Amino acid sequence: MMTFTEYAGSFQKTAVSFWHGLSITMSHLFRRPMTVQYPDRTPLPVRDMLPPRYRGFLEVDTAICTGCQACERACPIACIQITLEKDPANPKQRLVTQFDIDEAKCMFCGLCVEPCPTGSIQHTREFEGSVANIRNLVFRWSDPVKPFPVYRVEKGAEYFARAPLGSLVRARLEAARWNAAAVEYLPPEPPAPAVAPVPAAAPAPPTPTNPETK
Amino acid sequence: MATTPKRPPLSPRAVVLITLIVGVALPGALFALILVLSAATKPLVVEALIRKFAEVDPATWPYTTLVSWGSVVVLALILLTFGAVISGMTVWWEMRVSARMQSRIGYNRAGAAGFFQWIADAVKLLFKEDLIPAEADRMLFRVAPYFVMTGFALTFVALPFGESLIAADLNVGIFYLVSVTALVVVGILLAGWSSNSKWALFGGMRSAAQVVSYEIPAGLATMVPILMAGTLSMQGIVRAQGAWPWQWFVFTNPAATVAFAVFFIAQLAEGNRTPFDLPEAESELVAGYLSEYSGFRFAIYFLVEFGNLWVMGAIAATLFLGGWQIPGVGPEVYAAAKGAGALPAPGWWGLQALSMVVMVVKTLVVLNLIVWVRWTLPRIRIDQMMTLCWKYLVPVAFVTFVFTLLWQVLVARQPALSTISGWVMFAGFVVVTLLFARQTRANIAAAGDHVDMTNW
Amino acid sequence: MTQTTGKILGWILGTALATGFVVVMGQLAIVPAMKAMPPGETTATGLAEVLFYVIAGLTIAGAAGVALSRNILYSAIGLLAALLGAGALYVFLAADFLAVAQLLVYIGGVLVLVLFAVMLTNRITEITVSNASLGLWGGAMLFVAVAPVLLAVALVTPWETITPAAAAYTTETIGDGLLTRWLLPFEIASMVLLATLVGAVVIARKEIKAD
Repeated sequence: MMTFTEYAGSFQKTAVSFWHGLSITMSHLFRRPMTVQYPDRTPLPVRDMLPPRYRGFLEVDTAICTGCQACERACPIACIQITLEKDPANPKQRLVTQFDIDEAKCMFCGLCVEPCPTGSIQHTREFEGSVANIRNLVFRWSDPVKPFPVYRVEKGAEYFARAPLGSLVRARLEAARWNAAAVEYLPPEPPAPAVAPVPAAAPAPPTPTNPETK
Repeated sequence: MATTPKRPPLSPRAVVLITLIVGVALPGALFALILVLSAATKPLVVEALIRKFAEVDPATWPYTTLVSWGSVVVLALILLTFGAVISGMTVWWEMRVSARMQSRIGYNRAGAAGFFQWIADAVKLLFKEDLIPAEADRMLFRVAPYFVMTGFALTFVALPFGESLIAADLNVGIFYLVSVTALVVVGILLAGWSSNSKWALFGGMRSAAQVVSYEIPAGLATMVPILMAGTLSMQGIVRAQGAWPWQWFVFTNPAATVAFAVFFIAQLAEGNRTPFDLPEAESELVAGYLSEYSGFRFAIYFLVEFGNLWVMGAIAATLFLGGWQIPGVGPEVYAAAKGAGALPAPGWWGLQALSMVVMVVKTLVVLNLIVWVRWTLPRIRIDQMMTLCWKYLVPVAFVTFVFTLLWQVLVARQPALSTISGWVMFAGFVVVTLLFARQTRANIAAAGDHVDMTNW
Repeated sequence: MTQTTGKILGWILGTALATGFVVVMGQLAIVPAMKAMPPGETTATGLAEVLFYVIAGLTIAGAAGVALSRNILYSAIGLLAALLGAGALYVFLAADFLAVAQLLVYIGGVLVLVLFAVMLTNRITEITVSNASLGLWGGAMLFVAVAPVLLAVALVTPWETITPAAAAYTTETIGDGLLTRWLLPFEIASMVLLATLVGAVVIARKEIKAD
């Protein structure tokens, strides 16, 4: 049962909450909004306004990559793919023939950055990943035709000189167009299922060619 | 991935200029047309106009009926257009204000201050695919928006815009306004039912329960100004009030202030506005009774929802806030300005325009209050909604009703009471407003910020 | 077997009664009424008259829809049309208050509640739910029996034609009437409504046992 005091008190509570709520929204009306008007009405590019520890696209400085595959093992969703081969010219030298990071899969957890002994793999502040073809979000840090040799850590070294963070990803992003065709050396997507045979009057539609593989 | 920034085709100055021209000219032209037509469609004026311009005797001229009916049809079309335009502009304004209340910027791309966004939204809606769910009841699904639109459009018949500016000053004006909104409920219920979707059905049911419940406190609160004015006519209620704030119904009777609050809350509920937007609660019911609608049909619901803000504002301004009364201009001034001829003199038109401005300003104030409440309060639960109606608003409305009866008896014996109440209540209102402004300042200071109106 | 025979006999008897009733009523009422009608009176049809027939047609069509539709929601829409038409006819009779009251009470209140109740019933499983017409024959007979009476009343009664003054507002008259001359019936009606309200609460409420 509701007592009269409670009943009358609910009116008072309503009035007080109206008073405070309305005055708060009203006060925001006279304050400057804090919206960042991405993408074009900002004083500098938004990636430069982000905090330094922002976890954006991963970047690998191949000059100091030891090929230890720690990042590959650490990745919880296996979006990093590394292949090591011996150098046919120099059996003592190992080469990284494949270092692919699928940024479309990456969940930006940062677990790969932790175990890296030289700080080769790092998060950058790049985040603009809208592309027409999702395969273009696979960053290939090594080229099978021109693999890079693994880096040998000198004894007692504590500092590894690295290219400026973000510059390598930036160069790649700027080189690529957003609507670039997909890379060719991946297996094409499975063809569309064969259409049911139609009466002879209508010619069978041509097998739809995958526009991405053109 | 790299984007090249596109150069805007127009200079910022030109954009501001175009926006200002359209933003002022479009509603201005509609208001002017309403001003001229709602005064000129009265039979006597039509006859005088025919006598003047066609130089024939309207009694024997065969086209008199045609002209008078035609002018009424044109007025109806103009009022409908006005409803559509004002609801679109309300959308724009509400989005701007709500963004600012949340420290955002809001619409700012299409035109200066994003003014053309409402046109862009409407055009986008018109080009959307018009979907009817396969299992829906196709006929009712198509019919439902018309009910909603009709209920909305019919209200404009009795909405006053100025001293003589009303499509039809019905003797039962306010009663009529309360009743035609019933068609909207029928439309919403049918929309919910015919969509054959559980979300839509829940939304429709909630809406019906809500509107049927809140009609009672709304009606009872409406009784207060009716009792004070002694008439149901909208213009009669306005004429019974004075022009100055302390002569408005909301202040001349302490119960009317409470009744205004009850009426306002009940109107929010009847218009399905937050905090009473349970019928279309996005987080629970997708979009309630609108879930299955798209394209033009959806646009109609949207139009009605936002156009209703104007209707709510105009009704509240008429009943409680003195309507179109200009301070210092009584009925005898209008009569003097009108002159002896059948056609009113230019001064009379000026007075009409002024009264229209007063009415529009008051309507916009109430409209902004509604917007403000919407972006302040969260949605209430359905049991809270029912509790609020039946346990709080209905008893309070009854008390104001009975109090007004006694008050009118008292005022009839002691007319000074009404004046004293008006002054005291108005002074109280001013004090509360100042306190509120102080509280707002304190809130800004508490956030470590300062008043900054740049980038509005 | 006897049951079927009885049923058939009942039908035959009913039909015969109805037919006889129609014939007798026709002889008694309609024929004199037809004779009494003023011969060949033609009036120019104005816009108002056209409007009147449109509205009357809408009302009748709506009423027919209520009775004949197989879909209960369509019946409700028919009811809406009939009630709206009746309200519009009140306008023609210069009964402005009554017209708006019709709109408010019947459409805003009764119709919405009917729709609400339809949607709350258990038998509604999908939107194509039907209200199967029951007793079609009985209804038809009733119609045949009643129609001549109504028709006769409509035709025989010497209707008084009054042209109402355009500005004859009824609100004040109704208010005065309700609070002076007809106060007692008015109050009795409100007591009856109060009783139904209390009754509804008693039926609907659940006993909440305090544990």
